[in-house]
Amino acid sequence: MIKVNNRDSEWEEGLTITRLLEQKKYTFPKIIVSINEEIIPADQYDTTIINDGDDVKVIHLLAGG
Amino acid sequence: MKLLVKKDELCIGCGVCEEVCSKAYFKENNREKSCIKVEAGESNTINVCNQCGVCIDICPIIAIKRDPKGVVRINKKECVGCFMCVGFCPESAMGQHDDYIEPFKCIACGLCAKECPTGAITVEDLDFETKEKF
Amino acid sequence: MMDVTVLKEAHKLLAEYKYEPAKLDRGYTNKSLYINIGDNRIEEKQISEDVKEKFIGGKGVGLRYLWDATKPETKWNDPENEIVIAGGPLCGITQYPGAGKSLVVTISPMTDLPIDSNVGGYFGPYLKFSGFDALELQGKAEKDVIIFIDGNEGIIRIEEAPLEAIDGHVVSEQLTEMYANSEEDKKNISVISAGSAADHVNIGLLNFSFYDMRRQVARLKQAGRGGIGRVFRDKKIKAVVIKFKGTKGNLNNPVDQAIINKTGIKLHKQIHDLDDQQCRMRQIGTANIIEVMDEYDLLPVHNYQYGCHPDTKNIASNVFIEKFITQGMPDGCWFGCSLSCAKAADHFEIQTGPYKGHKVTIDGPEYENAAGLGSNCGIFDPAIILEGNFYCDTYGVDTISFGTIVAFAMECYERGIIDKEITGGLELNFGNGLAQLELLHQMSRGEGFGVLVGMGVKKLKEVFVEKYGADPDFLNDIGMEQKGLEVSEYLPKESLAQQGGYGLTNKGPQHDEAWLIFMDMVNNQIPTFEDKAEALHYFPMFRTWFGLMGMCKLPWNDTIPLSNATADEPAKIPEHVQNYINLYNGVTGANIDKYELIRQSERVYNFQRVFNIRRGKGLRKQDAMPYRSMGPVTKEEYESRQERYDKQLIELLGYNPEGKTTEEKIKVMREYRLDQYEQLTDAVYKRRGWTPNGVPTVEHLKSIGMDLPELIEVVEKHL
Repeated sequence: MIKVNNRDSEWEEGLTITRLLEQKKYTFPKIIVSINEEIIPADQYDTTIINDGDDVKVIHLLAGG
Repeated sequence: MKLLVKKDELCIGCGVCEEVCSKAYFKENNREKSCIKVEAGESNTINVCNQCGVCIDICPIIAIKRDPKGVVRINKKECVGCFMCVGFCPESAMGQHDDYIEPFKCIACGLCAKECPTGAITVEDLDFETKEKF
Repeated sequence: MMDVTVLKEAHKLLAEYKYEPAKLDRGYTNKSLYINIGDNRIEEKQISEDVKEKFIGGKGVGLRYLWDATKPETKWNDPENEIVIAGGPLCGITQYPGAGKSLVVTISPMTDLPIDSNVGGYFGPYLKFSGFDALELQGKAEKDVIIFIDGNEGIIRIEEAPLEAIDGHVVSEQLTEMYANSEEDKKNISVISAGSAADHVNIGLLNFSFYDMRRQVARLKQAGRGGIGRVFRDKKIKAVVIKFKGTKGNLNNPVDQAIINKTGIKLHKQIHDLDDQQCRMRQIGTANIIEVMDEYDLLPVHNYQYGCHPDTKNIASNVFIEKFITQGMPDGCWFGCSLSCAKAADHFEIQTGPYKGHKVTIDGPEYENAAGLGSNCGIFDPAIILEGNFYCDTYGVDTISFGTIVAFAMECYERGIIDKEITGGLELNFGNGLAQLELLHQMSRGEGFGVLVGMGVKKLKEVFVEKYGADPDFLNDIGMEQKGLEVSEYLPKESLAQQGGYGLTNKGPQHDEAWLIFMDMVNNQIPTFEDKAEALHYFPMFRTWFGLMGMCKLPWNDTIPLSNATADEPAKIPEHVQNYINLYNGVTGANIDKYELIRQSERVYNFQRVFNIRRGKGLRKQDAMPYRSMGPVTKEEYESRQERYDKQLIELLGYNPEGKTTEEKIKVMREYRLDQYEQLTDAVYKRRGWTPNGVPTVEHLKSIGMDLPELIEVVEKHL
């Protein structure tokens, strides 16, 4: 189990950020992703592995429609 | 089309081009008011407009046009001073100084090339295909 | 080229006024223009330092004038009701994107409250350059008039104008042609007009023109919400035309041009570097979020029952880009807007109505049009949406209200609450785009069911209940209006904070005060009532500020600087907040910080709240929202999200959904969600310095410097 935006979320072996974003359908282009409070650059989403118990934040930057 | 062609490797960073340019167009020796700028360092880089014309389409009031010789020129009377052309120039070669409410740019007049001691800048008249190589 | 001499020859001069145009000083002319078309009076007024200090400009000054001009019982169609149009101290600068906005206020025929609307086009800047920070229009003309302001010559005229068209796109072209000396000169003209539907229905809007030099056409931006166009036409104003030649980048005469240049160029570079990967505002404008909203289950579908639809792909932004929108144009509605969201489809051939066969330039579609005219009505045909967009604009119809009303009428039709006899033969099923267009044509002609639709959801509910025996409770649940204004096009059902963002507003449920769905529902950044209340204080105040300045909100957060990834409060876009502070201080010479910025807005925001209370409204009960915006009203809605809702019943309420009917679960969920909204309301009122009934306290008014006697007099009755 991991946390995604402070909510429990299923974890699987080898889970990358890209895969997590797909699972959650987080397709919005302006997001910031951090794992355990460390910001991950967008070009590393494919290769960054999320470990069991990680605290992941996917912050969508839109405060105004 | 007429444009200023630069050869960075010949540039010695003397700054004569900047002085000539700013004196010619703004009546003072001030590199901040020069349309050509040399970034001096281990190797010198010459920054000047290549007359690509991106700014022509960016300008909201059609104050920038290409003249018959291919030189991109700003009509300062029409310009509304938005400086979008400055922000959108792919070469970062559109000049701007807070003493003026319009931007300024190289019009390939060749005054600087005449004074350049090493031939690092020359005015050439190229067809479009040749220009693409630069 | 059209021949406008015949039109011009039919003009009859009613009044002429000559003046010396005031030059701007630090963003202000310090003068306003008062025009009464009832007795053909034209006057200049001085704007006092006190008004500038407390109300700044834009809608602040507009609301101040509107308060002074009206009585608590003034109705929208009383002659003393005013339409006030004002930029603000930053309006007219050309270096920073989005700085050409006009703010329009009036007493709304929809809400019976002051409405404010923020609109692009060249009018606001040209009004300032012509010597006026604000324009007040009062009285009612006997016959159709045009008001003409020549900002170079210093001449203002009121002329009877019987022959010009009413429809926005035609009259704007005619008057641009008439008042410009040459093609070159057309960029110096801006026209305010409404449209033929605004003669008949309350959802009428105002069009503000800007001349597109490349397409060689007068394009239109809209002051859409709240029926201002209806008031305009009720006053028998056909158009207000302004002409100003000589726009430069420093006409606001700012104290520090250098910091404005620097701030603007920085943003131009940022947009150049990042927009293609971020919002693609330059490519497609606000329509970029059509598919985003669908993917996050937030796109209103079938009158806000659902949040997504398999056919959304047919109206995704790329469809408009590939099939309709012309590219390669700097589509800013004021000079210097490199965000350039104003898109246009050229040579679009109209298929229905009086302009059938015409090839027109259509501004749009903006997101709200695609969602309101499209998905919310179950219409997924991009050509129909564009045509609806065109007719809404030219007839002077607010697309947001229209979309939401038609969606409501369609649901009523589908559920058998109304039938073909009532609609005059129109089959108002979801997805019937031609029926939707026919409703628009009826509004323009002033006949049929369309006229009733154009009066708004609130009126439709009354009529359906009184005349056709509909269940009032059900209609109140599914009719997406509050305070008489229709909800704009986002589904707030699963975001409590956004229910507050819509409900706890001054003018009604428009998303321009706060859009918190991602912060709340997706990011989970504001989990507690206090967190949500803080957001529902900060964002409405921050965003009010754009309306004081004459600025657009989009360049604030539809482009994001690189610095934001490591910012403390990324949702606020701190680097951009600093940009705005720099611009304000640079123009006016003041020295505000980010706290004073909020304080400036708070003064006007609370003034507007008290204005509502003065008119017998503006209290807690008016801030309630229809349940459709808060949770599942019907079985179908519940079951479409059953997994999510069942889980919430277990986790949030400790209620076991096992073996329960959907109806039982809906009831339990409803009690919970309504209670959540009440608790949110308490927290927000407290944060805003209001009583539990939503009344600003005297202490709070004092603390923000707004303890004006006329405000105290109003609030004291409720304390």
